[in-house]
Amino acid sequence: MGVLYLLLLIAGIGCMLLLDRRFRLFFWHDPAVASLVTAVGTGLFLVWDVVGIAAGVFLRGEGGAATGIVLAPELPLEEPVFLIFLVLCTMVIFTGTARILHHRRVNADWEEDRP
Amino acid sequence: MSYPLLALIGLLLAIAGFVALALVGFRRNRTMSRSRYFTAIAITAALLVALTAVFDNIMIAAELFHYAPERLLGISVGLAPIEDFSYPLAGALLLPALWIVLERGSAQRRKDFAQLILVSRPISWVNTAFPFGAAYLLTTREVDAVLVLGVLYFLIPYNLAMYGINDVFDYASDLANPRKGGIEGALLPPRLHRTTLRVAALTNIPFLLLLGGFGGPAVWTALAISAFAVVAYSAPGLRFKERPFLDSVTSSIHFLSPAVIGLLLAGAQIDGALLLLLTAFFLWGMAAHAFGAVQDIIPDRDAGIRSIATAIGARATVRVALVLWVTAGLLMLGTSWPGPLGALLALPYVLICAPFWSVTDENSATTNRAWRRFIALNYLSGFLVTLLLILEGSHT
Repeated sequence: MGVLYLLLLIAGIGCMLLLDRRFRLFFWHDPAVASLVTAVGTGLFLVWDVVGIAAGVFLRGEGGAATGIVLAPELPLEEPVFLIFLVLCTMVIFTGTARILHHRRVNADWEEDRP
Repeated sequence: MSYPLLALIGLLLAIAGFVALALVGFRRNRTMSRSRYFTAIAITAALLVALTAVFDNIMIAAELFHYAPERLLGISVGLAPIEDFSYPLAGALLLPALWIVLERGSAQRRKDFAQLILVSRPISWVNTAFPFGAAYLLTTREVDAVLVLGVLYFLIPYNLAMYGINDVFDYASDLANPRKGGIEGALLPPRLHRTTLRVAALTNIPFLLLLGGFGGPAVWTALAISAFAVVAYSAPGLRFKERPFLDSVTSSIHFLSPAVIGLLLAGAQIDGALLLLLTAFFLWGMAAHAFGAVQDIIPDRDAGIRSIATAIGARATVRVALVLWVTAGLLMLGTSWPGPLGALLALPYVLICAPFWSVTDENSATTNRAWRRFIALNYLSGFLVTLLLILEGSHT
């Protein structure tokens, strides 16, 4: 039994939120919609997991980095935390990429306009 | 079902959602650069697939999870089965599309969001989540999905519904009350009234259905009573908060029902000692409500609002509250060890309330001083109750 995996996931979520905050990407851009996207994303992934567990595809490991606490058979406590991280990571990458592409476009226009 | 089929279904559903959302999104917002968003989604998908290739391998190597080998396609990237890549791909398609359709990152939206959080009274979140969590955990002795769901529900959505409905329908009378707008209440601009009710419904109903799904008729009844008490307290037509005595009873149900739902979901045996404890908690909640109503007697009467305190006056209400607290303490003496220690918790409430034994309606507003102390005291009591519960947990 260990908390390493859980702590790493929480640290990962923390890092995503720092990026989010610094560049006002997701929760710091539109917190209501960000909450909705996070809830919908995590919820759908969880349903996917549960279907996989019911179908006998996913099996919990006995790795020492996990707490061993299960929310349901074969569904470790860490899984929803991982899924929240996955959603945040996806959205920070997406919003960040869209931002960079937007600025490149604006800069390119500016370059063209120069005499 | 095999994993390839599961992955395919998930991915197809995500693609369908992506197409539907993208069509709506581009129709709504014609100025949006399509190519830029598609490029961003493609880059996101590529990065996530690369990250998955690395971290999925690490996670599988760390034995965090594994797969039933006969259910896999058999193609893998290192240790990671190829089907695993359906997760990041589905996420990269569906979630940004949902974001594009709904996102309006304006300063106003951020302010409104902060306002809704304030409406749910973050300082009081724990007051409903704790009774549920403690009751559930003490019965089952283990963390599971129902515990997480219930704590989440009674932490935020429940409070948003309770205080949100209250603030919407109390708007007019709150305007006349200088005490509202701080930690004890938030003035909600009419512009946000519809949104508040909608968000309350949207966040409450799924949790109620999910929690109901984990229990039988007893749980459904408790959930129904709990939700009814939340709505009936301030919704027009019912307005239990303006019916003397029913107001204190309903308010106490707001805090008792999470504990009862926790016990029922956990399948607890509700015996005599437990009934005494629940009754004590119920009386404690009624006392807190009744005493809290005293400070508002004058503004409430000016606004034509009735409450237990406007009906029987400041002095009688304070005395009723005192009797309720003392009775709650005495009931605790009849519970099983270490419950009787909980009787001591009634003492500080009695001591803070007692100086107002002879308060008049004219100076009823001075009881706000005691009320503010109760907000701090509730945290201390919560802490002490936690210690008692830990003692109880190690005892049995």
